[in-house]
Amino acid sequence: MTTFSFRFAAEVGGAEDAVALPLVELKGLILAPGPCLPARLRARVSLGRMLLDDLLSRRLVVLTGKGGTGKSVVGTALALAACARGKRVLLVEIDAPLEASRYLGAAPVGGREAQIRPGLFAVNMDPAAVMDEYVRRVVRVDLLARRVLASPVYRRFFAAAPGLPELMVLGKIMVLEEQRAARFSSRPRYDLIVVDAPATGHGISFLKVPVAASQAVPVGPVGHNARRILSMLRDAERTALVLVAVPEEMAAVEAQELHRAAVDELGMEPAVLVLNQCHERRFRREEEAEILRLAAENADGRLVRGVGLRAALSAARRHLRRRKLTQFYQTRLRRAIPLPLVSLPYLFDEDLGPSSIERLAQRLEAA
Amino acid sequence: MKSTRGRGSRGLAAALAERRILVVCGSGGVGKTTTAAALALQAALEGRRVLACTIDPARRLATSLGLASLEGRPRRLDLSRLAARAPGALWAMTLDTRRTFDAIVEKHTSNEAARRRILENRFYRQVSSALAGSHEYMAMEKLLELSDDDRFDLVVLDTPPTRHALDFLEAPDRLTGFLDTSVLRWFLKPYFVAGRLTLKVATRTGAFAFELADRVLGLQFLQDLSEFFLAFEGMYEGFKQRAGKVHALLRGEDCGFVLVAGPARATLDEALYFYRQLREKEMPFVGLIVNRVHPDPLSDAGAVPRTPARIEAALARGLLRLMEDQARVARRERRGIARLEAEVSDPLILVPELDADVHDLRGLREVGELILGGRSPSRQTKDGLLKRRFAPQEN
Repeated sequence: MTTFSFRFAAEVGGAEDAVALPLVELKGLILAPGPCLPARLRARVSLGRMLLDDLLSRRLVVLTGKGGTGKSVVGTALALAACARGKRVLLVEIDAPLEASRYLGAAPVGGREAQIRPGLFAVNMDPAAVMDEYVRRVVRVDLLARRVLASPVYRRFFAAAPGLPELMVLGKIMVLEEQRAARFSSRPRYDLIVVDAPATGHGISFLKVPVAASQAVPVGPVGHNARRILSMLRDAERTALVLVAVPEEMAAVEAQELHRAAVDELGMEPAVLVLNQCHERRFRREEEAEILRLAAENADGRLVRGVGLRAALSAARRHLRRRKLTQFYQTRLRRAIPLPLVSLPYLFDEDLGPSSIERLAQRLEAA
Repeated sequence: MKSTRGRGSRGLAAALAERRILVVCGSGGVGKTTTAAALALQAALEGRRVLACTIDPARRLATSLGLASLEGRPRRLDLSRLAARAPGALWAMTLDTRRTFDAIVEKHTSNEAARRRILENRFYRQVSSALAGSHEYMAMEKLLELSDDDRFDLVVLDTPPTRHALDFLEAPDRLTGFLDTSVLRWFLKPYFVAGRLTLKVATRTGAFAFELADRVLGLQFLQDLSEFFLAFEGMYEGFKQRAGKVHALLRGEDCGFVLVAGPARATLDEALYFYRQLREKEMPFVGLIVNRVHPDPLSDAGAVPRTPARIEAALARGLLRLMEDQARVARRERRGIARLEAEVSDPLILVPELDADVHDLRGLREVGELILGGRSPSRQTKDGLLKRRFAPQEN
C-alpha cells in the first residue's frame, strides 16, 4: 500500500499535462488512492474504478492491437482482476503456440476449457477442432459424423475455405457466452470471457469475417450465425473491444488505424485503449535536471563499490528518453483516439510470472 | 561469442548481395517490418535494385519508410538525402489483396463473360478483400509476378506474424492440395449450382452429401461457393502451375529466409518454433536476428574511479535502483538468448535496442548498419550510434 502511494505521488508529479485535460479524457487514468492525494484529483479515482467496473460488467472482452504489445499479458491481468471480483472467467486464445497460462505458472490447457486458478478457466482454441465439434453437434448420428470427419474432402475443404476457421471460432465463443451454469439456471456459465484476438492486421480481418459472411451469404446457417455473432460483437452492453498499444511509433499508428477500422468497418465501438509498457517517472524534476547537468559535464566518480557514476548516468539518460517517449505517446494517443487511456508500467521483473501479472491486475484495479 | 556474431552478419550480408528473394519472418512486435526495410535499404545502398514489399495487412512498412501510405504498386523512394549518388534504387509497396486478385482474373480469363462472372460473384467480392487467408494466396501470386519483374534484382518480403507467416509458406501447398482432390469435383456437382438445385438428386450418396451439407453449412453458402469455384474453372490449371512454381521458388537457391526475434522469452520461444519449422521444410535459411537487446548497465561499467561521486544520497539510491532494474531486464534477455543459441545451429545476430524510435530512412540505415556490422551491443553503445537525440515527430 505504501509503495502504491509513493508511486502515485511520482505519477502525479509528472502528470501536469493530464491534469489540464478535460475530465472525460482523464477517466482512463487509474490511480492509487493515498494520503497524498489532492482533493481535486480524488474524483479521478472513482472514475478509474468505474471504467474497470464497466469493462468487467460486460460478457465479452476482446483484446486487439499490434503484435508484441503484450495483449496476452494485459488479457491475463484483466481476467485476474475480474476473478478478484468473484467472477467466473474464461480466457480464450486462438491457436496460440504458447499459452498465456504459462504466465500464471499453469500447464498448457489446449483445446479443452480447464481451470487454471480458482474461478479462472482457459482454453486455446484450434479452429479445425472447433469445426469438428460443430459437425458432430449438427450431424447427431455418430456414425455419420465420423464419416464426415474422416473424409479428406472435408479436411481439405476446411483448410482452404477462406474465413471458415474464423467464423467457427467466433461461433464457438458465442456459444460459450450464451451457455448457462446449469440447465434451469439464469446464471451464465462464465460471467466474463476474455478473448486474445490475433495481432491487428489479422485481428481486424478476424473480426471482419462475420461482416463479410453475413453480406455474402444472406440465408442458411452460415449467414444466420454470422449475423448473430455480429450482433453480439456490436452490442456494447455485452462486448467491449480493448485496444492495446505500447509507446512506440508503429504501435501507436496501428492503434489509430485499428480504432478507425473498428468503428467504420466493424461497427464496433472500442471501450478503452491500454497503453502497456509505460516508463514511469522515477526521479524528481530537480533530480532529472541534476542528471542532465552531470551528464553534460561528463562527471564521474564511484556510486557504490564497483559501480561508476558514468554508467549510472547513461542508464539514467536511457530511462529519461524512454520516459519522454511514453509521455509523448500518451499525449498523442489521448488526442488522436477518443477513448479513455489506461497506462500500465513496463515490468523490470527477472521473469514474467504470476506475481508480475498480479501486480498488473492490481494496477488495473487500483484498489 | 563475438566471432560467431560476426559470422552471422557476414552470412546475411552475402545473402543480401546475391539472392533474389529475401523473406523476413518472425512473430509480431519484434521489429520485423523495420528489419525488412533496413535490409532492403542496405542492399540498395550497396548498388542493388531492391523492392521492399509487405504482405502484412497492417501496412506498417509505410510507417517505417516515413511514408504516410503505400499503394498496391511499387513506388520508388528518394535516396538522395542518404547518398548524393546512390548506386542502387529502392522501391516499396504493400500488397493490395483485392487488386492483385482482380489482376489475376483479368489476366487469366479467356473472355469478357467469364471475367464478369467472377468479378461480380457475391462471394468473390467478399472473399478477395475481406477474408483472412486470401492475403496469403495473393502474396504467393504477387511474389511470383515480382520475381519475374526485371526492374528489381532483389525483392525483400515482409510477412505477417509467426503463425500467419507459416500460413504463407503453406499457401501454395494448401492450394494445390485443394485443387488436386475431389473437393472441387464435389463442389462442381450440378446439384450445388444455382438453377439446378431443384434437380432430383439421383444417387443415394448424392442425397446424403446434399442433406449433410445443408445442415452443416447451408445450401446457399455452398451454392455461392460452388459458383465461385465454377467461375474459376478454366483457371485451375494455371493456379496449380503457379503454386508449384512458388513452392520451387521458396526452396530454391535464389531465395533466403531471415528470422527475426525479440529478446523477450515469448518471442524467443516463438522464434525457435519457427526456426524448426523452416529447417524441417528445408527452406534456405540465411540469418537469425535477435532485435532490440537491452544493455546491462552493471556489467558495462568499465573502470570505476576511486573517488566517490559527489551527488545527493537520494539520487544515488535512485540511480542504483534504476541500474538494478535495467540489469534485471538484461539478465532476463541474456538467459533467453543463451537458450536459443544452444538450440539452433546458426549464428545469432544481436541488435541493440535503440533509444529512439525508427521511422525514417536515416534511422533505417542505422539499423541496417547495426545488423550487418554485427558488433556486440556493448561496443555499439560507445560508438555514439545510439546517442542520436530523440526528436519526436508529430504526424
